[in-house]
Amino acid sequence: MERCFLVLEDGECFEGTCLAQQKHFPERAGEVVFNTSHAGYEEIATDPSYFSQIMVMTAPMMGNYGAHRECWESDKIWIQGFICLQMQESERENSWQNLLVKNNVPVMTEVDTRRLVIKLRSQGTPWGAIVKAVSKDEAVAKAKKLISEQKQMDDDWVYLCSRKQVEDIKGQNPNGPRVAVLDFGSKQNILRELVLRCSQIRIFPSRTDAKVIADWKPDSLMLTNGPGDPAQVKTAPETIRAFLGKIPVFGICMGHQVLSLALGAKTYKMKFGHRGANHPIRDELLGQIYMSSQNHGYAVDDKTLPSDVKVTHRNLNDQTVAGFYSAKLNCLGIQYHPESHPGPHEAAKLFDYFINSMHKGNKAEAKHYEL
Amino acid sequence: MPRMNDLKKILIIGSGPIQIGQACEFDYSGTQACKALMKEGYEVILVNSNPATIMTDPEIATRTYIEPLKFDYLKKIIEIEKPEAVIPTLGGQTALNLALELDKRGVLRDNNVRMLGATPSVIEAAEDREKFRTILDELGARYPQSEMVKSYDQGIVAAERLGYPLILRPNYTLGGGGGGIAYTPQEYQTMLAQALHESPTSEVLVEASILGWKEFELEVMRDASGTFVVVCSIENFDPCGVHTGDSITVAPQQTLTDSEYQAMRDEACRIINRVGVQTGGANVQFAVHPLTGERVVIEMNPRVSRSSALASKATGFPIAKIAALLAVGYRLDELKNDITKVTPTCYEPALDYVVTKIPKFAFEKFQGSKDLLTTQMKSVGEVMAIGRTFQESMMKALASLEVNQEGVPDIHFNLQKISYPNSQRIWHIFQALRHGISIEQINDLTKIHPWFLEQLKSIVDFESKIKSSDLDENLLLQAKRKGFTDARIAKLKNRTQEEVSKIRRDLNIRPSYLQVDTCAGEFASSTPYFYSTYWSQIPIAGSTKPVVAVIGSGPNRIGQGIEFDYSCVRGVKALQKLGYAVAMLNSNPETVSTDYDTSDYLFFEPLTAESLTEVFTCIKPEGFIAQLGGQTPINLAADLQKNGFKLLGSTMETLDQAEDRKLFSQICRDLNLRIPQSAMAGSITEALKHESTVGYPMICRPSYVIGGRRMEVIENKQELQSYFMRHMDFIGESNPCLMDQFLSGALEVDVDLIRGKNWMMIGGIVEHIEAAGVHSGDSMGVVPPQRLKPETQEKIETLSCALADRMKILGHLNLQLAIKNDEIFVLEANPRSSRSVPFLAKATQIPLVDLGIKAQMGMEITQKEKEEYNWRSLKKICVKGVVFPFKKFADSDSILGPEMKSTGETMGRSDTYSDALVKAFASSYLNLPASGEVFLSLRDKDKEPMLPLLNNLKKLGYKFSATRGTAEFLNGVNIDCQQLNKVHEGRPHCVDRIRSGQISFVINTTQGRQSLEASFDIRRACTDYSIPCLTESDAAEAFVMALEKSKTGRIEVSALL
Repeated sequence: MERCFLVLEDGECFEGTCLAQQKHFPERAGEVVFNTSHAGYEEIATDPSYFSQIMVMTAPMMGNYGAHRECWESDKIWIQGFICLQMQESERENSWQNLLVKNNVPVMTEVDTRRLVIKLRSQGTPWGAIVKAVSKDEAVAKAKKLISEQKQMDDDWVYLCSRKQVEDIKGQNPNGPRVAVLDFGSKQNILRELVLRCSQIRIFPSRTDAKVIADWKPDSLMLTNGPGDPAQVKTAPETIRAFLGKIPVFGICMGHQVLSLALGAKTYKMKFGHRGANHPIRDELLGQIYMSSQNHGYAVDDKTLPSDVKVTHRNLNDQTVAGFYSAKLNCLGIQYHPESHPGPHEAAKLFDYFINSMHKGNKAEAKHYEL
Repeated sequence: MPRMNDLKKILIIGSGPIQIGQACEFDYSGTQACKALMKEGYEVILVNSNPATIMTDPEIATRTYIEPLKFDYLKKIIEIEKPEAVIPTLGGQTALNLALELDKRGVLRDNNVRMLGATPSVIEAAEDREKFRTILDELGARYPQSEMVKSYDQGIVAAERLGYPLILRPNYTLGGGGGGIAYTPQEYQTMLAQALHESPTSEVLVEASILGWKEFELEVMRDASGTFVVVCSIENFDPCGVHTGDSITVAPQQTLTDSEYQAMRDEACRIINRVGVQTGGANVQFAVHPLTGERVVIEMNPRVSRSSALASKATGFPIAKIAALLAVGYRLDELKNDITKVTPTCYEPALDYVVTKIPKFAFEKFQGSKDLLTTQMKSVGEVMAIGRTFQESMMKALASLEVNQEGVPDIHFNLQKISYPNSQRIWHIFQALRHGISIEQINDLTKIHPWFLEQLKSIVDFESKIKSSDLDENLLLQAKRKGFTDARIAKLKNRTQEEVSKIRRDLNIRPSYLQVDTCAGEFASSTPYFYSTYWSQIPIAGSTKPVVAVIGSGPNRIGQGIEFDYSCVRGVKALQKLGYAVAMLNSNPETVSTDYDTSDYLFFEPLTAESLTEVFTCIKPEGFIAQLGGQTPINLAADLQKNGFKLLGSTMETLDQAEDRKLFSQICRDLNLRIPQSAMAGSITEALKHESTVGYPMICRPSYVIGGRRMEVIENKQELQSYFMRHMDFIGESNPCLMDQFLSGALEVDVDLIRGKNWMMIGGIVEHIEAAGVHSGDSMGVVPPQRLKPETQEKIETLSCALADRMKILGHLNLQLAIKNDEIFVLEANPRSSRSVPFLAKATQIPLVDLGIKAQMGMEITQKEKEEYNWRSLKKICVKGVVFPFKKFADSDSILGPEMKSTGETMGRSDTYSDALVKAFASSYLNLPASGEVFLSLRDKDKEPMLPLLNNLKKLGYKFSATRGTAEFLNGVNIDCQQLNKVHEGRPHCVDRIRSGQISFVINTTQGRQSLEASFDIRRACTDYSIPCLTESDAAEAFVMALEKSKTGRIEVSALL
């Protein structure tokens, strides 16, 4: 078995093993992040929010249940690398390992992930690169180059992941609303949840003009999850502002962050973010505390939110803003993932809240929708 | 909602004696809950009949009642204490059933006692299978096809509809008691009758088989506001068909996709809510079809359980403690995560390791009972191991079982042993893989998920690699990461273990100790709960205080159980009081000692010389304590000392003197102490040479055994020959058979004492109720002695002290003595804490373990302590009762002998001997029938001596029946006795009469193997139908004394002071 290295920006190296099938090792750079979910590796790898990130799974054994196309969250694998302690050694055909290899994603196993996670949690999530090398020096040199190349790309990662064309999907609820979706790199399950509850969905690229959306006459606007720094997202804040106070606006994750920017608030980079399926949320909108699925590296600074926007959701681990609601502007931002995949389902009720309660306040159309 | 302030006094019901299916996990949960509630400022009233527990230590609760867990006693305690609330969910099925009874019979209402944690309607909704099914229907949850059967005839019809094999699940029993799997109509008919009898409501769920489905369990918590968390998901290695307590299990679940898992999680949440669990811990079991993914619900328990103890240890989430706090009103978000200290308790632990639990069995102790696992639990204990990967975790768990240092030794290949679930199956799977049997074939035979089998195969494949490669750094590191012990590597390389260990250490291949932190490293944690792994390199913070290590007792087994955990926990606390940081080492997830807040460092590790040496190398203790964990640490002491660590207290030489029969006999001779005639023999030829010196009857046993394994009373040459034949695998030149003169009819006592450098403290003398010949663990006992003369007691004390001085004991000494015609014989000396230590400590209130620690640390005791602690000044009479698992082992014999078979003990505590007896029997679930027919089957030599007893029974109004010999004898002495047929004399015979419920209890004494075999059916019938069966005349006497007392109907209770 051949050795490979994860080299962090500060030069620290973590050794690991390459898969035998990856003779021509696909060396890649990205932000190094960790996720504490026990399962759901396939959903994670296909979630566009993980664009340009190297994924470290804290759960030690990956690939146990193989690979299943139906749990993909988009039509490709977005991660820059997959790091874990051990991969299922199965030769079964639909193995997760084979899928990563086929998609040219570098896989690194036998890594001291515990030590790596402690490093990431105490020093923040750095950039890094996975490379094959005979010595550490060689690895560091290779990594430096890869990292600087990767950093060359456009800062608006949302734009890089967003659809470039409008897409229409028919909803399954003829009595439901027409929802415009501003695509920041949407997970499939947000769309699935909408399909169940809506009559019609139209998905717009992230830099779509407000007028184009308005011409479609949506009943409401959905802002999806997506990767990167919300402050770098171009045009979307203005687009959103055009609808605020007119139709219901619901933002998830990146959508929530960009919504906050549209409201005039600020976002900041967290030390190592939240990625996992066990984050406790106090939800004052639903009057519940529940576990949530999380994946974000930025957060909304609650001091900068306008006074008529109420922080209605808190992450109970660190009291960061997990969601806000404005009755006046009829908008809701949720930092975590009510669409789950992977993770617990409790927060899915927020989609109901969006469809039932928020559309009742829809002054423009004064229409009521039912599920 | 915060803490309930209108509550002041809370009653907690414990789970009673250790039984299969309900063991020391409830001491762990109860202790945790008591401590949490005490800390909150509540008055906690605890009732438990089990003196071997930590929870019954007086400082755990405000007031502790060691009283029978029976309605009448609980009623009395409630009337005296007037608690405002009772928490019934912490003491297993026993507490739950008892609380229900107290509610139904109006005691709770009359005394204004609230039930916290679970209400009667919740308990019924979950426990009553029919009600539970209605709920599942309403929720659209699926469950196996089944029918609730309330009569035998209904059962027969149901079976025809459902088809075989069938699973029988009696309502309201613990550990699946009385249930099982029936493959044929014949099996089914027998089992159905039994199951109907076992269920307190005479209801049995007859279920179509889901054998071979994957089995899962979710441990969940809910608070009053509806916040729901899954603490841990558990996947069974053994598919459906094996009781989850008997299955190898793994946490977290490994083979479900996220969507499958989340669907299961959602369903668990809906069930908990619909059943109406307001607050606390619960578990829900599921089965999933391996191919279609179809999911069914098996059952739920609205209380903390064995698996919640496991889940707590596996994740660091203290379920019982949190359940207690939720019961008094707190919400999950109001409580802090104990481990991280920064995040709230409403979270689901993230694990970056794999936990494996393997049950420990005792089939070898129950001859006649087939080693077959079914839906009725049979294991007596369990080990847990943590590793970074499944392989590391599984291999550590196998090493933790203390069966073989190699963990996965080569065994005789037998494919048949794979085709049905049994206690040895895991090793047979390894062996089959070594023989090239394919995963497909093993999967076909076992239905074990291929993922698990692939993992095992990769371990076996690596064995070949070890064999064929050099022991270099890379190979050794890989091997250690797969969990191979040094001993196994040595075997594969044909080297010694010492050589392999040395090579490994020279290459600096050492484990690291990772924290169990509930969050996979996401947050910093300061809780010192560790497991070893070769997958990581992270140093642990050292201690500023000097460290002492306490070695635990490993998995519970018959002969070494909770009593030793009591000693360990007390010992840890005593050492902490003396200013030490204490490292606790143990592999048993059910215990208080493996609670992370018991010690300063908890290492969840196999108790092997290799693992302990590595831990000690890392934490550098001043020394280690080997006297508290039973025989396990004693057996490890020599290796650890050899590896450079200091044994505290009695030296290795002292330990050897006690273990080595020759040395010990010499000491006794020097001190003029009598010992039974004895000899050693490595073969039958040799044994026959010593036949006349030792004389018959004699006791034979192999050297170095726990709980008298393979110990038998031998009455003649024929039996001696048979003994050597049957046990030839365990006897040889290097481990000879010990042959001891058997002191027939002698009175036996246990003495426990502590010796310091220049002080001595007698803990007490426990007088056995049964005569010599019954293992001390199986014998009932009483303190203070009722039959010993005061001068004999004096003599015993003097003799014990002399022996302790001579052996240079520092710490504990337990002696077993026999007294015959006022002469004292020394039978056995154990230089360690013993089974009787917690019993004596509770009875006499002398903190024996604390004093033992002082002695082991070379300290003095004060004059005040010397005066204060005097076992003779004890105010109550305390009787030890015993609980046996015969019912769980079909076809096993309930006769008592020198090999220990009991699983647990109770204490009856009262002002009079007879009342203490009544309580001890009641606590041990032996009915005291107020009237009815006594069946007698007596050996000749007991007939005459037992006449006064029988006359007494006659006076009390009991009727008699017996087979011809005894009947004729009784009728001849003017006692009416109905004559019954012996079994071979044709039906209806005496066993028919027992099985038809016409007999209240049985006195059956036997002599010799033959009469033993002839009367087996009598005893077995009693076991099956829960009819008291006294097999020893002294025990019968005690029983009759208790019967007489219980007829007065007076119930008195008192708290420990």
